[in-house]
Amino acid sequence: MYRIGFRAMGSGCEIVIASTAKKEAKAIAALGIREAGRIESKYSRYLAGSIVSRINAAAADNRVECDEETCALFDYADVLYQSSGGLFDITSGVLRKAWDFSREEVPDPESLFPLLKLIGWQRVERKGSAVRLPIEGMQIDFGGIGKEYAADTVATLLHEKGIRHGYVNLAGDIRVIGPKPDGGPWTIGIRDPRNSDRMIASIPVYSGGLATSGDYERYFDKDGRRYCHIINPVTGYPVNFWRSVTVLAPLATTAGSCTTIAMLKESEGLNYLRESGMMYLAIDQYGKIYHND
Amino acid sequence: MAMVSTTKSTVFSALIASAAMLIPSAKSAYADAAPEQAIVGMKYLNYHDSQSGDTAQTAGMSRDRINVNALSFMGMVPIAGKWTVAATFIEDSITGASPAYHSSGFPSRTANHDASSGASGELRHAGDLTVTRYFSRGTLSLGTSYSQESDYISRGVSLNGTLSTEDKNTTLSLGTAYNSDTISLDKPAVVASKQRVAPGRKKVYSGLVGITRVLSKNDIVQLNFTYTDGQGYYSDPYKAPDVRPSHRNIYTVMTRWNHHFEDPDGTARLSYRYYSDTFGVRAHTFDAEYVQPLSNGWELTPMVRFHSQSAADFYVPVGAAELADPSTPTPPPPGAAFYSEDQRLSAFGAFSYGLKVSKDLGRSWLVDVKYEHYQQRYNWCINGHGDPGVANFNIRDIQLGISRKF
Repeated sequence: MYRIGFRAMGSGCEIVIASTAKKEAKAIAALGIREAGRIESKYSRYLAGSIVSRINAAAADNRVECDEETCALFDYADVLYQSSGGLFDITSGVLRKAWDFSREEVPDPESLFPLLKLIGWQRVERKGSAVRLPIEGMQIDFGGIGKEYAADTVATLLHEKGIRHGYVNLAGDIRVIGPKPDGGPWTIGIRDPRNSDRMIASIPVYSGGLATSGDYERYFDKDGRRYCHIINPVTGYPVNFWRSVTVLAPLATTAGSCTTIAMLKESEGLNYLRESGMMYLAIDQYGKIYHND
Repeated sequence: MAMVSTTKSTVFSALIASAAMLIPSAKSAYADAAPEQAIVGMKYLNYHDSQSGDTAQTAGMSRDRINVNALSFMGMVPIAGKWTVAATFIEDSITGASPAYHSSGFPSRTANHDASSGASGELRHAGDLTVTRYFSRGTLSLGTSYSQESDYISRGVSLNGTLSTEDKNTTLSLGTAYNSDTISLDKPAVVASKQRVAPGRKKVYSGLVGITRVLSKNDIVQLNFTYTDGQGYYSDPYKAPDVRPSHRNIYTVMTRWNHHFEDPDGTARLSYRYYSDTFGVRAHTFDAEYVQPLSNGWELTPMVRFHSQSAADFYVPVGAAELADPSTPTPPPPGAAFYSEDQRLSAFGAFSYGLKVSKDLGRSWLVDVKYEHYQQRYNWCINGHGDPGVANFNIRDIQLGISRKF
């Protein structure tokens, strides 16, 4: 079994490949790393030339032509928006301007108001493969989808290259390529959202994708309340109900979207998870654990 | 080697420091009588740096980066036995390019292109003037400095004082300085996201408290604290992705021990400096040099230095995207407010060695030659985890100096 570590999406990532010669495993993993890097660059809002930066820069101005992959991601974002009652909105990233986690300050409601006016996926104009943001300052951001999508494409690529046993782990979002060589499951640990050194559960995974959203990734604590990076696009305030939500789904992308929507739905999240039919493990603000039987 | 300053200011501070060492008051560790002789001196410096891709991750990254030729003139005149006026003037020209991120992203235009200013064969002029008053038990110095290049202007004032006890065995130093910098952001080479007509500004205040104690006739120890508070434009206009906080405090503690060996008549100078800033960089610098006078006016000074620093909190290490294709920088982590891929903010260790040879030619003439070699490696860091994606970095420094007393 070979574990090939690399850095992507701002974190440590790994590709684990079993039952292949070492040289071959390394060469194939390199292709996977390249694929993860390709997606990261393509959808980074920090890189001036990326499709996301070009669409954002052209807000209130031109339409931007998108390739097939980007159009498919927009279609998916649309599904998420509709199925979450508008809570999962890829135009909500603009709230970052008010929520600067390095400054640890709760913004004034007045400073949120002009930003809230820039949010609304339903207002994004799509014509064929072209996209236009109608308002100056409006932004799209694939931050809530990109990492899990990359885990899926990397795993698919490795499978196409003949890998049958292994998994891809992009900063905790996992897509299994195939079970262990003996047919057994990979044991994936779920970390304690309040103690990163401790595992709170371990889940046997034969196939599919496992993703976790939590209030511990980027956050600050102030006056006894935690302000995390998952922000409700309607209120402009961070969600506060769940410490973490983990979902096992056929794809890492689906798992990731489910966890984020459950976080966003707060107290309604549990019903949403139950109805989704996916396997889940959720931990609320008091540390109570919920999972399917 | 200062870790977070630009290459250019590193070169300059080295030059100014070496020029200042010509001033007798700076040579002795404690306050002294005003010098009786005037000095004029000239130095030539050639600085050359390069990166070498010595590992699997950085293979193929070897290349030359920056070359600097600098000429400096200094003079110091005593006035009425109680005053000195010292001045330095420096002109340098810089060619070459530094990377826009990590060890990659060099400008595609080659010959004589300077990535750090966008001009070819960039010239820089700098000067400073210091007036010192000597008292029976101390000194007071007022200094001013100015440096200008096409895209950067820096102005500074400083006030420094020393006060010694009656027996002159203990000296207290106090200093304060103010610097105001103007950074042009309208040059064509400034990255698109940072282009704007209004220049960036930076204001930096600093203070120093130090104590020097003569322990015996052969031993002097010194302890210095400095505090620096800077506000303004800290991002690098020529680097992307690179957005830095607009505030930086720096704390340093420096200890020094000079020991004179009577028998060979040599002096060892040992120092250790701890550096900490609000960017998250922590650094340890160990310095050792030994000055050995020889017959016929020769003097040899070998030196070694080790520096190790941790990375800035917002340093983004080389990631998959850049590894796969070095023409693409590593995207900063999602949600990051500040980020930089400047290798000077990464964790690394650096080892330098050098030798200075000086010769007193008689009739008050002194010449010296100094050679210094600096090597920086990600895996030499002792207080952090280096970034294996950053190429090794090397500097070669040559100085020639001549001075005369009157």
